[in-house]
Amino acid sequence: MRIVLGVLEPDDGAVRWKGRPLDAPARARFGYMPEERGLYPKMRVADQLVHFARLHGIGATEAHAATARWLERLGLGEVADRRTETLSLGNQQRAQLGAALVHDPELLVLDEPFSGLDPVGVDVLSEILRERARAGVPVVFSSHQLELVERLCDAVAIVRAGRVVASGRVADLRARRGGRRWRIAVEGAREDWVASVPSVLVAHVDDGAVVVELEEGADEQALLDAARRAGRVRRFTPEEPTLAQLFREVVA
Amino acid sequence: MPAIALVARREIVERLRERSLWVSTGITVAVLAGVLVLPAALGFGGATKGTVAVSGPQAAAAARQAVAQQRAFDVELTIRRVSDDATARRLVRDGDADLAVLAGGRALFAAQDADDSVVSAVQGGSQAARGGRLPPPLPVVTEGGSSASDRQGIAFVAVVILYGQLLGYGFWVATGVVEEKSTRVVELLLSAIRPRQLLAGKVIGIGLLGLGQLILIGLCGVIIGAASGQLDVNGDVVAAVAVVMLWFLLGFALYSCAFAVAGALVPRQEEIQAVTAPLTILILASFFLSFGALDDPSSTLARVLSLIPPSAPMVMPVRLIAGNVPAWEVVLSIALTVAAAAGLIALAARVYGAAVLRTGSRVTLRAVWRATAEQAPAGRRA
Repeated sequence: MRIVLGVLEPDDGAVRWKGRPLDAPARARFGYMPEERGLYPKMRVADQLVHFARLHGIGATEAHAATARWLERLGLGEVADRRTETLSLGNQQRAQLGAALVHDPELLVLDEPFSGLDPVGVDVLSEILRERARAGVPVVFSSHQLELVERLCDAVAIVRAGRVVASGRVADLRARRGGRRWRIAVEGAREDWVASVPSVLVAHVDDGAVVVELEEGADEQALLDAARRAGRVRRFTPEEPTLAQLFREVVA
Repeated sequence: MPAIALVARREIVERLRERSLWVSTGITVAVLAGVLVLPAALGFGGATKGTVAVSGPQAAAAARQAVAQQRAFDVELTIRRVSDDATARRLVRDGDADLAVLAGGRALFAAQDADDSVVSAVQGGSQAARGGRLPPPLPVVTEGGSSASDRQGIAFVAVVILYGQLLGYGFWVATGVVEEKSTRVVELLLSAIRPRQLLAGKVIGIGLLGLGQLILIGLCGVIIGAASGQLDVNGDVVAAVAVVMLWFLLGFALYSCAFAVAGALVPRQEEIQAVTAPLTILILASFFLSFGALDDPSSTLARVLSLIPPSAPMVMPVRLIAGNVPAWEVVLSIALTVAAAAGLIALAARVYGAAVLRTGSRVTLRAVWRATAEQAPAGRRA
């Protein structure tokens, strides 16, 4: 993210935007929320947003209008004239978001935007991000709140030690990892019936059913046959992993 | 509005809101008023000092008699023996003497605002030397300009104010840089503008603020001085104010970028003192060295120190106000200071961007320099 915003020099490679190497004027149209939060502590919230909007090349009148609009939207209208340091941490976080959004950026890059927000703030931000994306603005953000990511994102990339270890649309990722995991409920079976199936790698009991993972390329029909031998099969469904499970698997 | 102007504007607007700026301005004006008004009001200062230039034995005799009875006139005279009348006149014109005894003791040549008691003492000395029953007083020719001691006083006040402004505003640059670094706002700033724009805007904004404060202080000083009758507002005073302004700008250009780089090297406000210590010492040393120039503006040491950059911004103004400086020395001094400032600005532009983003612990100038040297061939450094 820092390399995209030009704060860090790449060791290797290049950043391209709309097919061209990224330059400063194009970068000025980006909105950024750094992981290390920071605003001028003694500056008034509204002055701060106006300043950042203008640094991004917005004219004075428009900067004031946009600031008023975003402060209202972020619920900071009442504290607009207070010094930033006197705000609660949650409100400082909202002001930080304002600084990333106020110049109506063409791309949003947000490093852990949800951390430190109360549930209401999370809802407000989620709605803003969805709305920006609908308006055609690519939104890139990092987060460890994977349920939120699952709900919001079209595509994810999982990074381990600086390398992308999995990436793609959330549904594709889940489906790709699925197919080898099955949830089976068998009535009247002995608890260890699964142990006799040779292609089962791992299995655990979950909510009255068994969740098993088969070897690569194994035939799930053999598993179904084994289940039917063990008792009455009430349920046999492919188990798609949650993003959190996917994350654990690829990062472990 | 370009980014540099926006950054400069923020510095000025935000700092004008800080009470500390107004308090410091008030204190400086109060101290200035004290220096101008108090000594006279309280009768301090003791005997009035005066320098008398003499040539020839008769003139010297008059001066000796004047010294002999100087206590009666509450003056303290310094006699400078010179070879001829022309030299004696020049000393007065240059402000190095208040009074000259000319034509073998038959005429006096006084600086326009030479103290009356000094003139009276020398008149008395001359009468005593010529003997007889009270010969008529000598004709006095006056010469425009301030007396040497007045000019010394103005130069002293000027260098104290210059010292305060250069150190204070240099320090403000350093704390401003560290504030942006320690609050991490710098990362957000540098995602929008280049390090050079941020550095230039900050230095220009704070520098303009310093100049504005200087103008305000100068104006207050002149008004208080004139109102109290302690300061004869003439061309010398106006020139002195102009000299201080000019050398504040030159000195600030020289020191401020160094303060900015120093600030960029440390992560916390607490470490500013340590990292700026070499700069503080340099400015303090220049300040004390300028006192030598106050006593003798034409000494070799004063001349050398007024030419070379670290000390020039404080020694040259003292020489300009207290004495007479050849034009070529002024030009050379300004040229050297501007060249040194340009070099420092280039250095600062190169290392500031690399240093200011290294948060966490203090970095060394050498490490930052090396890092920028490695990245330089890749180009595209902002």
